Amino acid sequence: MKYFLYITIFLFITSALAGANEGARTNNSVCIECHASDIMEPRFKEIVARWEKSWHYQNNVSCHDCHGGDPGDEAAAMSSERGFKGVPAPAEVPSFCGKCHLGVLNNYLESRHGRELKTSGNAPNCVTCHGSHDIRKADINIISKQLCSRCHSYEKAAIIKQALFSIENKIKGINEEIVYLKTKGFLMEDQEKNLFRIQAEFRFFFHTTDVPLLKEKLSKFDEDIETVKRKTADSLKEIEFRKDYAAFLMLIFIGAGVVLFFLSETYRD
Amino acid sequence: MKRQREMLESLKNWLEIRIGINEIIRQQLTEYRMPENINFLYTLGAVALFGFVIQVITGLLLLIYYIPHAGHAFKSIQVIMTEVPFGWLFRLMHVVGSNLMLVVVFLHMFSVFFMGSYKKPRELTWVSGALLLLLTLAFCLSGYLLPWSQLSYWATTIVTAIPTAFPYVGSAITEILSGGRHVSDMTLRRFFAFHVGVIPFFYTLLLGLHIFLIRRIGVSEPPSGHSGEKKSSWSGYRHESHPSGPPFYPHFVIKEAMAAMAYLAAMFFIIAFVPELFSHETDNIPADPFRTPAHIKPEWYFLAAYQMLKIIPNKFIGIVLQLTLLSLFLFWPFVDTSEERNILKRPLLFVMFIFFMIIWTAFTVWGKYS
Repeated sequence: MKYFLYITIFLFITSALAGANEGARTNNSVCIECHASDIMEPRFKEIVARWEKSWHYQNNVSCHDCHGGDPGDEAAAMSSERGFKGVPAPAEVPSFCGKCHLGVLNNYLESRHGRELKTSGNAPNCVTCHGSHDIRKADINIISKQLCSRCHSYEKAAIIKQALFSIENKIKGINEEIVYLKTKGFLMEDQEKNLFRIQAEFRFFFHTTDVPLLKEKLSKFDEDIETVKRKTADSLKEIEFRKDYAAFLMLIFIGAGVVLFFLSETYRD
Repeated sequence: MKRQREMLESLKNWLEIRIGINEIIRQQLTEYRMPENINFLYTLGAVALFGFVIQVITGLLLLIYYIPHAGHAFKSIQVIMTEVPFGWLFRLMHVVGSNLMLVVVFLHMFSVFFMGSYKKPRELTWVSGALLLLLTLAFCLSGYLLPWSQLSYWATTIVTAIPTAFPYVGSAITEILSGGRHVSDMTLRRFFAFHVGVIPFFYTLLLGLHIFLIRRIGVSEPPSGHSGEKKSSWSGYRHESHPSGPPFYPHFVIKEAMAAMAYLAAMFFIIAFVPELFSHETDNIPADPFRTPAHIKPEWYFLAAYQMLKIIPNKFIGIVLQLTLLSLFLFWPFVDTSEERNILKRPLLFVMFIFFMIIWTAFTVWGKYS
């Protein structure tokens, strides 16, 4: 009981410390304190509430992670010497987000959107589609008629979405099979790693606007997915084989029991 | 064929000259008589032994690939289940077999109790059998941690914490079991050593004693039905020989073999059609000491004891009560000294037996769904 108590106290203290750290990263930031206060203009004040609903908030990405500065020092919080960058210009947004989202940065820059932004400085950047503070988890449904039609017709975007959706669905299906096979005790480490790699690389192409190029790339993913699928399909067949094999052994032993029964009858007298 | 027969005959002669094998076969098999009115329940002991042999063989095969280390144990089980040729079969036979063997041991004990076969002069046979049941439970408990899954980790955490309810020695017992203050790699190593070394050693010794006592005293005849044998009191040692009964071999051995086939058929039925009967989905999630699963329940054979401990507010009293019941079970032949073996002629004992069975079942079901 004593050790249970020790463990409980230890877990309580460590979780409290972990919570305290999290607090330091988010709620104790002077950026938030100031922006959430009544002295702030409503358009700046609402940023905190929007951020608190975001995917960044759920993953402990705070103001200074993007905007720089020192969240622990009120006086120097917005000092350029402490790395404060402020609000980026539209053309700077891709490199601003690309600090962390390295994988998709090049894909975006090579896309029609990225090229246009580079030449004219006036084209959709990251925040146009993903939002600036109320950022939600990247999802294929971001490509939507409502969003794309704000700038151009939806036909091409619909083709891209359909192509991406088909691969996304296959990945989802195999992932479910892997989870199922793991519940049956199968070692799925390689398949999981391969699928993760495919999924990560696939996501890099979410910003491609060149339909023929996208279809070419996606056909490569299709092949990779098929390789993983073949392995999971083999494991699924293996489950059926195991069932049949065990059932066969069961029948063998029932048969042996029946033979022994008739043999025992011959010894009755 | 003729040559093989000659070889077999010469081997038999070789053994006859050295150990007198013909006499052993005659005394222990062909002229060893069983009670005339023997029934099928008498095969349960042999089936339990057969189950134990299966556990040893499958356990040895698993031992080749299993890695008793917290960092590798879970993956080594997955490798056995996926990559080792027929590893899945041996592992499932071991898992299902451990549960089936317990069922058979329980049935064997119930039948012995019901037929009053524990009475004088077979008290020691009962005690050795009861100790074998406890060791079987120890086998299950120690083996349960070895896959190092979420369920096994947390169930072991609960079980190893139980002795802490005892003042003075409780914490020391828990530390000896766990090799520290909580379940860790050291616990896994200790449980592994117990599972494959310590417990099998004592189990084999006790099993030898149990079989020796059965052979030495002779098989007890069922209390009901007419055996036609003349009964005499146990004023001194004598072997209950049943001269008019059927021989052990081949008559009874065939019945035992039939029961063993039924055991195997049941085992493969479970493996084929309900392989998850004795497992839980958290069995396939690696142990995570920082994430407690929502519902941790011990295995079915510990559910009644677990539920009893849960409803008794004071843990110390709960454990003392369980140890008292355990002692009563262990030394029951010395408590019930009545000469009447037919439980149907002893209504009070019969009602107590039924009452116990209902309570035990109710607590098991309650523990499962509480």
